[in-house]
Amino acid sequence: MARASTRSQKAPAASQSQPRASQSQRAHRGRNEESDDDGEGGAGDYEADGDAGEMAVDEGETEIKRKANDLVRLALFTEHKRTPLRREEISKKVLGPSTRAFNRVFDRAQDILQKTFGMELAELPTRAGLDADTNTVEDELNEARKATGMKKKAAATGSKTYILRSVLHPAIIEYAALTDEQILEEEAADVPSDDDNDDDDYTPQYYGSIISWSSADQLSSIGVLYTILALILVNGRVISDSELRAHLKRLGLPPNGLLPLSQSSTHKTITLEAYLATLIRQGYIDRQQVGDNKAGGKGAKRGRVPTHADDDSGATYEWRWGTRAGSEIGEKAVAKFVAEFMVGDAAGDEDDEEEGGSRRGRERREGAEEKLVRMMKGIERAAGGQLAEIK
Amino acid sequence: MVSSDDVQRLFLQAILSRGILSGKLAQTLWEKCVQAVKAAEPDISVPYSQTKDAWDAFVVKVNKSIDNLDLEFRHLHDETTGREMYALVNRKGDEIAQMATDYTPAEIAYFKAIIELIMLAPRESFSVSSFAALREVSAIKPKTNMSKTQAENVLGSFVAKGWLLRSKRGRYSLATRALLELGPYLKSTYPDEIVECTICMEIMTHGVACHTNNCKVRMHFHCFTTYRRRHKACPTCRADWPESANEKPLVPVGEAAVKDGEDAKHSGREKSAEDSDEEDEAPMDESQGTQPRTQRSQRTRKTKVNVDESMDMDDDDEEEPVKKEKKSSQPSRRSSRK
Ligand SMILES: [Zn+2]
Ligand SMILES: [Zn+2]
Repeated sequence: MARASTRSQKAPAASQSQPRASQSQRAHRGRNEESDDDGEGGAGDYEADGDAGEMAVDEGETEIKRKANDLVRLALFTEHKRTPLRREEISKKVLGPSTRAFNRVFDRAQDILQKTFGMELAELPTRAGLDADTNTVEDELNEARKATGMKKKAAATGSKTYILRSVLHPAIIEYAALTDEQILEEEAADVPSDDDNDDDDYTPQYYGSIISWSSADQLSSIGVLYTILALILVNGRVISDSELRAHLKRLGLPPNGLLPLSQSSTHKTITLEAYLATLIRQGYIDRQQVGDNKAGGKGAKRGRVPTHADDDSGATYEWRWGTRAGSEIGEKAVAKFVAEFMVGDAAGDEDDEEEGGSRRGRERREGAEEKLVRMMKGIERAAGGQLAEIK
Repeated sequence: MVSSDDVQRLFLQAILSRGILSGKLAQTLWEKCVQAVKAAEPDISVPYSQTKDAWDAFVVKVNKSIDNLDLEFRHLHDETTGREMYALVNRKGDEIAQMATDYTPAEIAYFKAIIELIMLAPRESFSVSSFAALREVSAIKPKTNMSKTQAENVLGSFVAKGWLLRSKRGRYSLATRALLELGPYLKSTYPDEIVECTICMEIMTHGVACHTNNCKVRMHFHCFTTYRRRHKACPTCRADWPESANEKPLVPVGEAAVKDGEDAKHSGREKSAEDSDEEDEAPMDESQGTQPRTQRSQRTRKTKVNVDESMDMDDDDEEEPVKKEKKSSQPSRRSSRK
């Protein structure tokens, strides 16, 4: 379902992150599970925090609550498709005619998301915001960038599109992305050992982390996404269309090439062009005409340009990370993923398909750690600066 | 601020990021979530113990938190391995809404059609040959231009995502995820076909049936094994049972109900070579004499198939003559199309 993996978040907007007054008490109550039977942090007991009496008489309140629950469901399901949730969609599918209630429903949904899942709907920055960001603080990458990112988000340059991401403590998020031996073992044991493994070319990839996209993602193509993001990253965070294509070609992906999709996809392959178009639509990468990246007003035009290589009119294009990539994945995660991807590849990914998941899991781990570390350092060097955390 | 509630929040995130997982993995994840929270805030007090009771209490707590969202962290024993499997299930709507995020309407229609073939399969075999599954593409409504090659990919995706099982013989049946998440849909759409395990009362599509005429006892393999350790006879009719669920005279439920080469033996020339090769659906009721499955005789097609539209699609349906003969006694879905 929803995807909240590597996303983290430094300082959620005040309205969403305020620890509820009762939270610390809850921590104490939590010691004794028996005494907890009134539930806590759940979608249902939002009201328990104070305005319960009011709610009983307020019919509109019940409606808001119901719609907020619907919005949470919509957010979870939409996230699974990896498409950003647009405000119009919320209005259409959740609010119905009473669109005026948007803010109340939205705030309530945020509260449920946070209390129940430790997640929030984060509004993606507009391209204009991002560009201004990169242009002004290009050199003081890390800290300044983060700070500016926050400021932009708080400013009224909203894109009215949202993604789900984790608002748990950064240390928890980091821990949840670590590889754990025990999880890896259980995951390997979980791989269905049906009697039909012989002619099946589907082998899920596991990472042994608490949060795992192995089963949700169509990994072979996600690998390409991370590769593209990495190419842009190591190229100084922007890459010309011709350069990107040349790199991809060298990696065995010509413009008319086909990308293999995993068994969990309903298609065996997708063309590179179609894949790039999908990534643009999902907000992972962005393609702009050169010299067209300053004014936010031109954003609309960008959406329509074909993804084909520099077109007949002689215009040249360049690629950057899309808003979603920065908000959801982050540069560090891309570097890590690509490092893992390459180490895994070297271990002979394609050939050990028929071996059990456990053996595969073990193989992945052996010697991989060291390679990973080296690979990460190399990527960081190539990026020309410290890798940015999630914005 | 880190709170002990972050354990269940992180746990839900972990579950959201996975499709279906074993109880063992789920419990490991819980433990790791506790560790993650403690890593972030060493002084925090988090209730945790490895006992079954503690785990069950945690699941109750998790479910309480998502109850208003019509979501449920539900578990079921895998019918083939007996392993306890968990998934986050969408309780709302009796439709196959869960799949809507992953598949196109045509693919969902196809999935429903496959489910129908599985649920209406003769003699509680709850499975469909790949040949019949692929042929079903032409019956999807609204009509789709999905090719058989494409349909093969789609079926592969259903298997990879844990909705369907594909056996060595190439037959498709319902996987645990489908039983977990689509239980209400199956029960409301196929009330007459649903078989429940006598022991655990859960829906059953793989298992064993008592051989006595009209005895309704059905058991999952793992439920049979547990039961058989203490009892030698059927709980209802007291008939003696062999030690193993696979032994005669017990009757298999699921794919094993369709025997290798059985098609050719029973239906003679009517089967095309192609069909028997692919172990296509066996005729409806040849062996009913030994297996009283009375409730299955009322089998009717639940999903409407446009008769006109299917007319021109089944030209190559060579088993039609067989089915037609049986039409009067048992309206099979195939014959009802003509
Ligand atoms: Zn049972
Ligand atoms: Zn009996």
